Amino acid sequence: MTATAFKQKPNTFSASLSADKLSLKHGKISIIDQLNVTLPEGQVTAIVGPNGCGKSTLLNGLSRVHTPSSGVVMLDGKDIHSLPSKEVARRLALLPQDTLAPDGITIEELIRFGRHPHQSLLRQWAMDDQEAIKYALQAADLEGLKDRLLDTLSGGQRQRAWIAMSIAQETPLLLLDEPTSALDLGHQIEVFELIRNLSRQGKTLAMVVHDLPSACRYSDHIIAMKEGEILTQGSPKDIMTKELVRELYGVDCDLMPDPMTGSPILINIRRLKS
Amino acid sequence: MINQSLSMPDTPTSNTSPNGYRLVSIGQHAQILIEKEAIVRNTWLLLVLFFASIITLGSGTMAISPKEVVDVLLGQGDTMNQFVVKDLRLPRLLAAIYTGAAFSLAGCLMQTMARNRLATPGIIGIDNAAMAFAVSSIVGMSVSLAPSFMALAGAATATALAFGLAGGSGTRGYRFIVAGIGIGAIAGAVTQLLLSQVSIDVANSAYPWTVGSLSARDPFMVNTLSIGIAICVIGCLLFSRQFALLPFSDQVITGLGANIKHIRILALILCITLTGLAVAVAGPVGLVALVGPEIARVLSRYRGIPLISSALTGALVMMLSDLFGRTVLSPIELPVGIVTAVIGGPYLIWILVRRSSRSSL
Repeated sequence: MTATAFKQKPNTFSASLSADKLSLKHGKISIIDQLNVTLPEGQVTAIVGPNGCGKSTLLNGLSRVHTPSSGVVMLDGKDIHSLPSKEVARRLALLPQDTLAPDGITIEELIRFGRHPHQSLLRQWAMDDQEAIKYALQAADLEGLKDRLLDTLSGGQRQRAWIAMSIAQETPLLLLDEPTSALDLGHQIEVFELIRNLSRQGKTLAMVVHDLPSACRYSDHIIAMKEGEILTQGSPKDIMTKELVRELYGVDCDLMPDPMTGSPILINIRRLKS
Repeated sequence: MINQSLSMPDTPTSNTSPNGYRLVSIGQHAQILIEKEAIVRNTWLLLVLFFASIITLGSGTMAISPKEVVDVLLGQGDTMNQFVVKDLRLPRLLAAIYTGAAFSLAGCLMQTMARNRLATPGIIGIDNAAMAFAVSSIVGMSVSLAPSFMALAGAATATALAFGLAGGSGTRGYRFIVAGIGIGAIAGAVTQLLLSQVSIDVANSAYPWTVGSLSARDPFMVNTLSIGIAICVIGCLLFSRQFALLPFSDQVITGLGANIKHIRILALILCITLTGLAVAVAGPVGLVALVGPEIARVLSRYRGIPLISSALTGALVMMLSDLFGRTVLSPIELPVGIVTAVIGGPYLIWILVRRSSRSSL
C-alpha cells in the first residue's frame, strides 16, 4: 500500500466547496435547514447517518443538482448557482446513485461522456480528451475492458466505469452518492481503494456511505448527520463513539481499534434496550 | 484489482479517434467525431430510399419502367410520362417522404425524452387535435379555411393546452402526458360528434383526415413541411451532443454541465413542430412514429439515438405503405394511415416481442 508512485496530473488544481446556511426542500418538506459545512480540501470526507437523514440531498445540494430554498453553496468562493454550469462541471463531478446509461454503450464511450464539459460542437475530440480517457481507464484498471458493453460487466466493474467517467472529467472535486451500495465485499474494497488513490493525487472527495467501519477506514473526515442536521464531524478516531452510534442508528455496540489499521470497528451490535 | 502504481500515461503523439469513430478535422478549430456505423447505415438507407422512390414513381395504373422514370427525372422522356411522374406521382412521393421522416424523427425524439419506446407525439394529443380541427373545417364552417391550416392550428392548440394545463411542471412530468391524453380524447370525441351530425357525403369528404391520407395534398403545406424538416434535421445534428445525454439521469446530465431543461424544451419544440407540420399534410399517421424509430434502433443494434436513421426509415415506411395502399386494390385506393396500421402494427408487435431484452427504452 505504501508504494504509490503517483505523478500529479498537471491540471489537477485544488478547489474548495462549502455550504453557508444551506436549506434544501423536497416540495414543501424541509430536508435540510440552515446547514453550514465545508469539505476539507484534499481529503476524503464520508457522510454517514440513518436512512432519510438528508445525506443524499446534501450531496445533491452541494453539486447544484438540487436548488437550495435559501443559503448558498460556495465553489472556490463563488455561489455555485451563479457560475456557468459547464464551468462548474470542470471543477466538480458527481457520481449519483442511480446509474441509467444509454443502451449498448461501451466502457470507453461511457467514459467519453465525462469529457462533455470540456468539449463543444466544433471541438469534439482533442489531444487532452484522448489523454484524459487513457488516464481514467488506467486509474480505474479498465484498460482491457474498454470495448466491452457496459451491461455485460460485473457490478464492481460497472461502478469502476462510472467512477472512471468522473475521473475523465478531470475535476479537483468529486462527490459520490453511495458508491459501494449493492456491491459485494471484494468489489466494495476495489472501489474504496480507488477512492483513496484519487485522494492521493490531491482530489477532494466526499461520499455518502452506509457502512460505518468502511467510512472510518477509508475516510479522513466524517460528517455524521441525523434529521437534516450535523451531529458531529471530525476524524474517524476522534468522533466515533458508542454514544454517536446509538444516537445515529438507535443500536448499542462496542468499539475496538482494528488490530491492523487502528481504525474503529463496531462489534457486539445489538438493539437498544428501552 | 486497482493499479497501485499509477503513472501518467505516455503523452500520445497523434490524435487518434476512438474505436468506431471517424475524426473529421476542419482546420485547427474544428474536430468532429462521427460514428462510422452511422455513416454506413445512413448511406445504405439513402440508397434504398432512392431505389424505392424510382420504383414508386413507376408504379400505378400506368406502369413506367425504372429506366423511363430516370429519364423523366433527368428531363427527358415523352410528355405523358413527364406528366404522370412529375405532376402526379412526384408530389405525392415527396409528401410521403417528408411526412414519414417528420413523424419518425419526432417519435425518436419523444421516445428518447420520455425514456419509453411506446411514447409518440400522438400521446400528447397533437394528432387528434389536428384531426378535429381539420374535420371541423370541412363539416362545420363550409371550408372557410383550408383543412391543412386548421390541422396546423389544432396541433398548436393541443400543445399550448397541454403546456398550460401541466402548469409548466416540466416536459417529462406525468402531468404533461396526462393533460395531453385528455386533450387527445376530447379532440377524438369532438371529431366523432362532428361526423355524426352531418350528411354522409360531407362525412365522406372529411374521412381522409381521420385516418391519414396522402391523396391530393396541399402543395403549400408540403413545401412548408419540407422547410420545417430541413430546419429540424439541422437542429438535431447541431444538438446531437446534448440529445445524446438524454438517456442519463437528470443528476448525471446536470453533473456534466448541461442544462437538462433547455435540452428537453428544445427536443420538445422540434418534436411538436415536426408532428404539427406532418399532420397538417397527411393527417394522423401516428404509427410511423412508433415503427420508424423501432426499425432504426434494430438497424443500429440498439446503440445510441438513431435520429437521422429514424427519419430515413420513417420516410421509407410511409412511402412503401402508400405505394401498397395505392396499388394493391387498384383502382380502389387505401388511405396510407390504414396501411401503416395494418402492416406496421403486426411488425411492431413482432419487434417488441423479439428484442425487448436488448433495449432499456
